[in-house]
Amino acid sequence: MSMEDYDFLFKIVLIGNAGVGKTCLVRRFTQGLFPPGQGATIGVDFMIKTVEINGEKVKLQIWDTAGQERFRSITQSYYRSANALILTYDITCEESFRCLPEWLREIEQYASNKVITVLVGNKIDLAERREVSQQRAEEFSEAQDMYYLETSAKESDNVEKLFLDLACRLISEARQNTLVNNVSSPLPGEGKSISYLTCCNFN
Amino acid sequence: MANSLPTEFDVIVMGTGLPESILAAACSRSGQRVLHLDSRSYYGGNWASFSFPGLLSWLKEHQQNSDTGEESPAAWQDMIHETEEAIPLCKKDETIQHAEVFCYASQGMDGNIEELGALQKNPSCVASSTLIKPLDSACLSEETHSSHITSYEVPTQDTPKNNEEITDTAETSVKEEYCGYDTYKHTVSDGTKDEIKPVLEDNSVPPKRKRIAYSQIVKEGRRFNIDLSSKLLYSQGLLIDLLIKSNVSRYAEFKNVTRILAFREGKVEQVPCSRADVFNSKELTMVEKRMLMKFLTFCLDYEQHPEEYQAFTQCSFSEYLKTKNLTPSLQHFILHSIAMMSESSCTTVDGLKATKTFLQCLGRFGNTPFLFPLYGQGEIPQCFCRMCAVFGGIYCLRHKVQCLVVDRESGRCKAIIDHLGQRINAKYFIVEDSYLSEETCSSVQYKQISRAVLITDQSVLKTDSDQQISILIVPPVEPGAYAVRIIELCSSTMTCMKDTYLVHLTCSSSKTAREDLESVVKKLFTPYSETEVDNEELPKPGLLWALYFNMRDSSGVSRSSYNGLPPNVYVCTGPDSGLGSEHAVKQAETLFHEIFPSEEFCPPPPNPEDIFFDGDEKPSEPLGTNNIVMAKLESSEGSKNLESSGKHLQN
Ligand SMILES: Cc1cc2nc3c(=O)[nH]c(=O)nc-3n(C[C@H](O)[C@H](O)[C@H](O)COP(=O)(O)OP(=O)(O)OC[C@H]3O[C@@H](n4cnc5c(N)ncnc54)[C@H](O)[C@@H]3O)c2cc1C
Ligand SMILES: Nc1nc2c(ncn2[C@@H]2O[C@H](COP(=O)(O)OP(=O)(O)O)[C@@H](O)[C@H]2O)c(=O)[nH]1
Ligand SMILES: [Mg+2]
Repeated sequence: MSMEDYDFLFKIVLIGNAGVGKTCLVRRFTQGLFPPGQGATIGVDFMIKTVEINGEKVKLQIWDTAGQERFRSITQSYYRSANALILTYDITCEESFRCLPEWLREIEQYASNKVITVLVGNKIDLAERREVSQQRAEEFSEAQDMYYLETSAKESDNVEKLFLDLACRLISEARQNTLVNNVSSPLPGEGKSISYLTCCNFN
Repeated sequence: MANSLPTEFDVIVMGTGLPESILAAACSRSGQRVLHLDSRSYYGGNWASFSFPGLLSWLKEHQQNSDTGEESPAAWQDMIHETEEAIPLCKKDETIQHAEVFCYASQGMDGNIEELGALQKNPSCVASSTLIKPLDSACLSEETHSSHITSYEVPTQDTPKNNEEITDTAETSVKEEYCGYDTYKHTVSDGTKDEIKPVLEDNSVPPKRKRIAYSQIVKEGRRFNIDLSSKLLYSQGLLIDLLIKSNVSRYAEFKNVTRILAFREGKVEQVPCSRADVFNSKELTMVEKRMLMKFLTFCLDYEQHPEEYQAFTQCSFSEYLKTKNLTPSLQHFILHSIAMMSESSCTTVDGLKATKTFLQCLGRFGNTPFLFPLYGQGEIPQCFCRMCAVFGGIYCLRHKVQCLVVDRESGRCKAIIDHLGQRINAKYFIVEDSYLSEETCSSVQYKQISRAVLITDQSVLKTDSDQQISILIVPPVEPGAYAVRIIELCSSTMTCMKDTYLVHLTCSSSKTAREDLESVVKKLFTPYSETEVDNEELPKPGLLWALYFNMRDSSGVSRSSYNGLPPNVYVCTGPDSGLGSEHAVKQAETLFHEIFPSEEFCPPPPNPEDIFFDGDEKPSEPLGTNNIVMAKLESSEGSKNLESSGKHLQN
């Protein structure tokens, strides 16, 4: 019954071209399944998974694009207060890799400075159709100061690792911040959701 | 992208302002296939918020917009069948007029902080008010004058102006320190920065205080989220209720407005509103505290005490207040800052009712009855769009619509033709007013809103905390004029850079925005170029940058004044001048019920976890709104990974 049954809560947001497998990655991680067909899930906003890392409960709130990436129309508010971004491309689709700089521009514009970005090359089960070499992606991610990982949502390769490593990063980052940042400076996400605003009656 | 747009929908929504976005969410939520388009590259239309560079390009766009030559109309006409008729839509946005920009901050170099010592020695300035050229931020940022005043109009009516018309705010600096207008006339033209010679000569005066330069504002430009329409949320208002009910509130974060201010006898004062405020007030005497508490307590249940006001029902509220044994300053607080009513028009009963509403709203979230969304008001329409998308709505920005296609026989609209010449069919069409052509709107009478956006260096009322969010109503000087509403935002609202404030002024227009608002700006702020170090305790905050513009207010237009619209085309209006967004919410709900009489308007969505997880454990929701049900990680594989993870994300 406790109100906050976790030690950490992180918002993770997925971006990248349509069709690279974002929805499948989320569903693989949170539900352990690979949905048949196009993974458009009507009415699902974000998925929650609580994991335990070194005895601490970490609640991951994972947000999908709701298809707004299809015509390059993601709302700015989608990026706000994200603690981490998973920027995904499809290793069998050169185009999805070439669009990465454009996505990085959006991140720079709308996401918090402190956001952690992970570059993910998905669909490694389709190695024979690979169009983007691992080396190229590594070079790119290094230049952009991002973590890099290759996954298969289909074969469940590296999917757990992706999210759990990210959770670990987020925890150590959060720890550092509370050490360095004793005086709370205004940060994104520092506002409150409606339910948490305090009351102070006239009466 | 290889994606092509489907061509069959139930509802096509054109425009992503607040009412359109609420409607799109409501339709999508009730199972309709929704296509939501905007011809612009950003969400929100005239409800949008912009970063500083974003705002500058918005200004630029509004100029170029008006210059664009007409496209040949033939493009889509071949696509109209014999049994059909076309209603062309508008090609340019004419809702913004009289935009004028003034920069009072020094230009700075390489983003360095300019020291005031240099400024004093150098009373030069650049002024130009005839410029119709786009403002080029890159160009501006490289100039090094101590003061730079630029002004231009969106040339809907580009009457050439002369120097006498330079703003009053800038007048002193222009008249006394004027040096070579002609020389600098070109400064706002395109990128000819080399022609501008820095006038800085002598830096020998020791620097005294850090100053904010224009180049810093440009450099930190993305810290700004500047609302085109300045509004707040009433804590008991329709928008908050809708956000909570529909769960859209989870996409946004809010802050309380922390202070209500009043402007009286040339001074800004804080209005005590909560019980604690009243008792802690240093301004009020003990006697005043007692008077105010007595009156406010009475207002909470004034209906129970008709004898207290019965005799005054024919009087104005201000007359009534005079009889209540309240000091003039208390009368002012109650009339203008609590009831927020104008002196002349408000009856006693209206005033009592408004005061009661105010007091009731205090309780909900904090000690003022208002909330402000982090990152600006422009987030709110986007939140509703997200909800629409989550329920399958398809989103396309930068997507122009050329015309509506009407079936002659039924008289109903059946499709749109987009800028690619593609025909997209639907049953219902929701269109924002500014998308309609001049012909459709020829008999429409519009009102105007006057707006100013200021970047300042200090709050209008300094206190211990520099992170206040304040609202201030400045009553009209002459009777019949409009009150000016001022909202001052601090950097923790995520709408401006550190050490600055973003100040929004709004009123119903009588004249151009600058003419309507400049006198108030002048009363409250000093141009930054005139704020001198010697004057350590500056009485007024410094004004770094100012934008004035008029926005069309279509909120009062009735459906019947549009010519020849088919019955299944529904019109949403732009922002009104009101403080809340009640009008937009009411409009969206009304139109939704017109289209789908039996459907529920924005019911709460099912909990995502209810769909997918069996949920062996469902803790009760914290405070009743957060719908997060936790899913426990149970797979043993998962817990194994937990141990080994933590060191490496790189492959
Ligand atoms: C402090 C305060 C707190 C409030 N909190 C809430 C709340 O929590 N929930 C809620 O639902 N409502 C709240 N209200 C709003 C108030 O009750 C509104 O009047 C109500 O929402 C009705 O709106 P309307 O659209 O019918 O009227 P509107 O059309 O908004 O008009 C309201 C009044 O303002 C006048 N007016 C409008 N425009 C101008 C102008 N440009 N210049 C001068 N006068 C003008 C009109 O004549 C009218 O008397 C609050 C109001 C105040 C002052
Ligand atoms: N072979 C393979 N196909 C995948 C993988 N991940 C996703 N897909 C497929 O790629 C398509 C798009 O996936 P989706 O998750 O909807 O992509 P999104 O648009 O980025 O959310 C679907 O047909 C999936 O079945 C993967 O790891 N391997
Ligand atoms: Mg998807």
